[in-house]
Amino acid sequence: MHELSICQALLDQVHLVAGDSSSERVLKIVIAIGPLAGVEPGLMASAFAVMKIGSFAAQAALIIEAVGVEVECSVCGTISAAAANRLICAACGGYRTRVVAGQELRLLRVEMLPAESPQTLN
Amino acid sequence: MCRDCGCSLTPESPRRVVEVMRDLLVENDRIAAHNRAHFDAHGVRVINLMSSPGAGKTALLEATIVALKDRFRIAVIEGDLATDNDAVRIRSRGVPAVQITTGSACHLDAQGVHAALHQLNLEGLDLLFIENVGNLVCPATFDLGQHRNVTLLCVTEGDDKPAKYPVMFRSSDLVVLSKTDLLDVLDDFEPLRAAAALRTIGRDTPMIRTAARRAPDIGSWLAWLECELAAFHPIAPRPASPLQRAWV
Repeated sequence: MHELSICQALLDQVHLVAGDSSSERVLKIVIAIGPLAGVEPGLMASAFAVMKIGSFAAQAALIIEAVGVEVECSVCGTISAAAANRLICAACGGYRTRVVAGQELRLLRVEMLPAESPQTLN
Repeated sequence: MCRDCGCSLTPESPRRVVEVMRDLLVENDRIAAHNRAHFDAHGVRVINLMSSPGAGKTALLEATIVALKDRFRIAVIEGDLATDNDAVRIRSRGVPAVQITTGSACHLDAQGVHAALHQLNLEGLDLLFIENVGNLVCPATFDLGQHRNVTLLCVTEGDDKPAKYPVMFRSSDLVVLSKTDLLDVLDDFEPLRAAAALRTIGRDTPMIRTAARRAPDIGSWLAWLECELAAFHPIAPRPASPLQRAWV
């Protein structure tokens, strides 16, 4: 359950972006988790649901964008999709590959509602 | 209120969208880089030792200390959920050990290692082992500032472990098969299949065999460590002779 630690790191980063919690309301947090990041999206969502309570992000929704795994073959140069535990080249079957997508553990964007907005929640 | 979904936001709501594109573990990685700079400044080679619980990390360290402590100055940072049993075992072999008790956390992080360094004198050390929490999942995600990741694969586990834990085994610079003295009585672990499983996750990581108890057989592990230390402490180049300089 290292998702709790990672969720804390996420909240710290969003706090830096949002600044003082009294000025803006965080509505949406969008992150990307690759299958080779070592983080379970479902556990991350559960951790977020618990950890946001009472925080500046209490009303924020967490959107987790799925990322596919792609490898680049060092032998034939092909970039192909792969499964997380089968990172071989789809074209030549070689195992000398480099992962070019699928390791992401990244905060993509934060959406906020300025407090002075005429819009109100409820 | 929005008529489509009932939310309180109309399409013209003045939302502020900030594109961030920042790795979530950037703070951990910053502290890890700080740790690494600290190790480099002291000329200490740092090995992060990982495996599932019970694969024999502490036993390997005990045998390693016995074999090398007269030639190299060694220290150990021990990560454990609850006890300091492993640190006590290491200290009884005559080298300093700092215990990090992680509580419910399943891994070490760079901040924890940084705090442990405040209890450890790096001056004069050659080799620092970080024995991570026994777990093949979580520790792989956190850089600690180490120079090398070493993962133990115990022969009582399946030889398909690399394919089951690709994140861990992809992060490894060396795979150490442990308790290989049991291979003769096990009929379901084939080292060649373990090597094949590594290749299916895109790795051709070197794999060596060790047995740390009874009749210790850790020669190839010690040779690997000595290569690491030699590469880290290159023989200082001699100043060029006046004749050589003339050619430059």
